[in-house]
Amino acid sequence: MTVGLNEYLYLSAVLFAIGFFGVLLRKSTLIIYMCLELMLVASTVALVAFSRFNGTMDGNVFVFFILTVAAAEVAVGLAIIVALFRRRQTIQVEELNALKN
Amino acid sequence: MSVQFIALLTLLTPLASATLIALFLRKQGTLASLVSTLAAAVVAAGALTLAFGGGRFGEQLGAPVDMEWMRLGDFTISLGFLYNDLAALMLSIVGVVGLCVHIFSLGYMHDDSAKARYFGGLSIFMFSMIGIVLADNLFMIFIFWELVGFSSWLLINHYCLKQSAADASKKAFIVNRVGDFGFLLGIILCYYTFDTVNLVEIAHASGAGGVVAVAIPLLLFCGAVGKSAQLPLQVWLPDAMEGPTPVSALIHAATMVAAGIFMLCRIEPLFAHAPAIALNVVMWIGTGTALYAALCAITQSDIKKVLAYSTLSQLGYMVAAFGLGSIEHLDAESHTLIIISAGVGAAMFHLTTHAFFKALMFLGSGSVIHGCHHEQDIFKMGGLSKKMPLTFITFTIGVLAIIGMPGLAGFFSKDAILYLAMENNTPVFIILSITAVLTAFYMVRMWKLVFLGGTRSEDADHAHEGGASMTLPLLVLGVLSLIGGYEAIYGGHFNGVFDQVAHPHGSAHTTILITSLAVMLTGALGALFFYKSGPADSLQQRVPGAFGLLNGLKSTPDAVYGYYVAKIQQRFALVLNFLDQILIGGVIVRGVSGVVGLFGLAARALHTGNIHVYVYWFLAGAVILWALAAGTL
Repeated sequence: MTVGLNEYLYLSAVLFAIGFFGVLLRKSTLIIYMCLELMLVASTVALVAFSRFNGTMDGNVFVFFILTVAAAEVAVGLAIIVALFRRRQTIQVEELNALKN
Repeated sequence: MSVQFIALLTLLTPLASATLIALFLRKQGTLASLVSTLAAAVVAAGALTLAFGGGRFGEQLGAPVDMEWMRLGDFTISLGFLYNDLAALMLSIVGVVGLCVHIFSLGYMHDDSAKARYFGGLSIFMFSMIGIVLADNLFMIFIFWELVGFSSWLLINHYCLKQSAADASKKAFIVNRVGDFGFLLGIILCYYTFDTVNLVEIAHASGAGGVVAVAIPLLLFCGAVGKSAQLPLQVWLPDAMEGPTPVSALIHAATMVAAGIFMLCRIEPLFAHAPAIALNVVMWIGTGTALYAALCAITQSDIKKVLAYSTLSQLGYMVAAFGLGSIEHLDAESHTLIIISAGVGAAMFHLTTHAFFKALMFLGSGSVIHGCHHEQDIFKMGGLSKKMPLTFITFTIGVLAIIGMPGLAGFFSKDAILYLAMENNTPVFIILSITAVLTAFYMVRMWKLVFLGGTRSEDADHAHEGGASMTLPLLVLGVLSLIGGYEAIYGGHFNGVFDQVAHPHGSAHTTILITSLAVMLTGALGALFFYKSGPADSLQQRVPGAFGLLNGLKSTPDAVYGYYVAKIQQRFALVLNFLDQILIGGVIVRGVSGVVGLFGLAARALHTGNIHVYVYWFLAGAVILWALAAGTL
């Protein structure tokens, strides 16, 4: 079987959906965070595929940007999660409800 | 220093003292008392320098000594000085009596725990009073008028832990508000009619006629009725005796209550231009007050209450004198008949002498009360002439002055009023003569009960003179009460006022002299023989009916006002309260807040604190946004 643009886009959509439902359903902040990253990666797969099949570099440029931003996010986000755990001894989202009470 | 500058200094020094005390010296009572007394000394010095230095300013039409304070559209409020002979006389009285009271207070309030508050109050009072005296327009008078009301409230309420003092201060303030309401209406009507409230311009203004010409002076008179405690607003003054005694001397005898008379004299041209009915109303209110208060004074057992009613009575005298109006007077030099506003002259003359001898007697009573360890009941005193000789002598001078002993201050001013009454209105003359009999009667009664006979209580047994700070003011005021009636001592510096005093000549002179001697002797000897210096009231024992009648007379106005407030005003207030609760509180306020509250409730339900829920909200928002962008929604 030949692997065309559609297969890449299916892969991208499946990855994105996994990430999306992970964000919606999982309780651990760390997992949610990984799922967010998964969604970003899913979009980069789609962009690389477009770039490959169109023969232009536009998609690749986007990917670089996304990777850069994602790296920065990781630095900040993980630091927050670590600080959160130190303070509250938990990273389960249902226990992080200080805004409500 | 220019005269205006001295006047400004005189006005602002007490304010500076009051500010200093209120901000920094609240805990340092002794220092505060010295600061305040020093300020009073500056005021006295400034007032006398101005008065005898001869400088008068602000009298010329079109050249006011003032500055703009506030401008609202076409309407300007300015603050300025009108310093004529009338103001000079009043300012001197306030300065001298004020200084005496300050010095007396140093001794009287020596052990008081809230000395700083007391002296701060005295200073703010001096400031307000001087403001009234110097003011050149009605608005400025009104501003300081209210300040005087406030400081009076502060000082009556000095013993604020006592319920009766708190009540009395509120009563004084509220009753004064009633009069001030009329005063304010008068000012507004005056501005509406003449387009000015400047006193000099008002004096030259014309154009009011008919009802307005009567309404303006009478509405302004309402203010004087409140402040000078005339019928029917006299109820606050006797209660105001809850304050410390020096305060009673300064405020409720010599100066503040005299502000009403002073204000009337300032606006005298309005009365002169108005139909006779305006002056007649003033005259009858004054006459009524004089008689009523004299009757009430007879049954009082509290030394300060007797003096309070006597103050009321004398204020009634002044108001009546003012209301008697002008008189034709034969000028001695040119032998022509000229019209002088004898009402103003007689009222101010009596105000002057009264300020001296009433302050003297109040301070004397303060000395007595202080000596007897705060006993105020005259039936528990007695025999103090031996214990407190200096107080006895000065107090006796005060009593002789008020009952009109020839040669003393009160004799001259009272005769001026009686002469005016005899010339202008016979019924008033008769009533005022009866009042003079009563005055002599109750004053001698009190004097005898306090100073003669044997001591009737342990406190009186141990009575003693206060220190020099208490006896010195008594001496000064005693001397002034002796000589205050001779115009020569004023050195011709207040001729603007004293030229207006009518002096009887020829047969009128004899009639007046005989009348005043007769009424004085009748009253004084009557009381001297009728009352025994014993523990019970002789009138109550011998003629209980009359005693009860007089007591009833005294308490009736209070009872009527009490009934009015409790039954009529309170019920009206209930109706208004109902409307307020249902309409404004219920429908408008609660309604609006209820709607807003519902929105809040809905918004609060969205806020769960669970991150997943927020993600769903985010998702929903994104879907709606997408739908909007795609045009499907």
